[in-house]
Amino acid sequence: MSLAFKKETFRDDYTYKNSVEAIKRFPFPFPEDTYMYSVNMEPHTKGPKGAVTEHTFDIDEHYVSECLDKAKTLELDPGRYAVLPHMMDAQWDFLELTMESLSTDYPHLFTLKKDGKNWTWENKPLSIKKSFVFGDVSTLDMDPFEYMSRQVQGDFVLLDQRNDTLYADAGFITSQADWSLNFDVGMAWHEWHGPVPQVTKLGVMDRALKYLMSMQLGAPVRRLNWTMTINPRLDTSPENYPLWGGDRNTVTPENVGKKVHLRVELQTLFRLPRSNGLLFSIRCYLINMEELSTFPRWAKRFHRVFRDLHSDLAEYKGLVKFREMTVQWLSKFDDGADIGVGTHPE
Amino acid sequence: MERGYWIRSKPVYSALVWQQQANAHLVLVEGSAGGLAAMKLFQQMLPQQSITVIYETEAGGADYTAALKKVVPDDLQVFNSHDAAMKALEAHLPEALMGLRIYVAGSEKFMWDIAQIVLHYGVDDADIAKELTGTLARSVYCVHCKAITHNAHTNIQACSGCGKKLFVRDHFSRRLGAYMGLMVDAEDPGQIPEIEEIYP
Repeated sequence: MSLAFKKETFRDDYTYKNSVEAIKRFPFPFPEDTYMYSVNMEPHTKGPKGAVTEHTFDIDEHYVSECLDKAKTLELDPGRYAVLPHMMDAQWDFLELTMESLSTDYPHLFTLKKDGKNWTWENKPLSIKKSFVFGDVSTLDMDPFEYMSRQVQGDFVLLDQRNDTLYADAGFITSQADWSLNFDVGMAWHEWHGPVPQVTKLGVMDRALKYLMSMQLGAPVRRLNWTMTINPRLDTSPENYPLWGGDRNTVTPENVGKKVHLRVELQTLFRLPRSNGLLFSIRCYLINMEELSTFPRWAKRFHRVFRDLHSDLAEYKGLVKFREMTVQWLSKFDDGADIGVGTHPE
Repeated sequence: MERGYWIRSKPVYSALVWQQQANAHLVLVEGSAGGLAAMKLFQQMLPQQSITVIYETEAGGADYTAALKKVVPDDLQVFNSHDAAMKALEAHLPEALMGLRIYVAGSEKFMWDIAQIVLHYGVDDADIAKELTGTLARSVYCVHCKAITHNAHTNIQACSGCGKKLFVRDHFSRRLGAYMGLMVDAEDPGQIPEIEEIYP
């Protein structure tokens, strides 16, 4: 696979776009016409060629621009990276997992050479080459967790397992769907999911926690989550809510197709070998309504899901202001035909 | 508030009860209501183990010093300032042993100030018994400028750091000892809902 990395922005002039190939591989999250929270986890096994699940970590056409956007967000607010002191083993676990996965899955882009503890990492797209001693922080320019979080698309949380729960004890969070790392760091599982509506009643969080705590090394899992964002903005943090909150007022029937984006998170979880912690990776994919509706099956499906979404979820996800306009815009694709079960585009 | 909905990061406090499995007890109480909570504890029983009571009195409120002197057998320390009470706590901890039980009654600010201090000595907040007394006032963390504003009594509180009008959420961080505050008029500048006292 050779990849042309696009030069684009996720802020200000918002030049982010998906190519035809990127649209086709978009991780569309709705297999049915209705949506409610569930423990929708499955093994993170190798997906079909070209799919976002083909490799352990998906590197796509947005890679270089997204890494630049991460760096920018962190520079403007250093609080997007936080790590509690007892997480150093987990940090090295993360560096090892990401370097090994990327160099195995994309050997033309990334290489890792090991001579005992002396490692040399090369990241060609970002023009990085670095020799360091594995386990010795002083030989890297920064924490190992920060070092590789800057070089992989998505957000990362390191979870510590103790007291029969999982604690979010480290994070590199620059493309979050409205949650604050600096506020949540150190929280136990049920605390950081506290604000999510309906899930207590459904028992979703208890079951998900049990599932995750019994995860084994070498058997990662994944799920999709979703929300919606106005403009292709990665940094929809509560910290910067004053910068993007008002964008919800700018949606008009004329610009729905371009402004309103479906935001899908490919969430993957890995057991880590030294720390016995977990890595929680949250990879964000954005697609606007015009791009989505190049596949009418998806437009039909999303029309139905969004139209019938539980009002608590619409409120929690911040979709109320532009819901009616978007549903109206999508309705022109929906002839009401039965499109069966499945997330495939055609 | 919506019925049946509870943000599970919001701590639940309950009345203090002596823990039987203990090597020593440390009781910290704030203000008139906290003083009374300590008295209630001694109404339950007088434990075998050593007991230290740190009492931060409240100017103008009822003072339970005299009553506590009669029931606290070993070590009653009374202070009229918060800083002095916290210093006394800091002084007590280096000598403390495993098996020390900690009990706190007071405002949320008082109990989470204590939680942060004892954390340095490896005591998790889950091991501190906490009773909320005196006030429901909240500490509010501004998610935008990261300042913490204390003593919020209303649904909307001006940030002491950046001045933004913050909606005080129920989402609570034990590490920060504060509720999240989010700019209330970010989407529609100037549109501030009615300000009401809901944390008297």
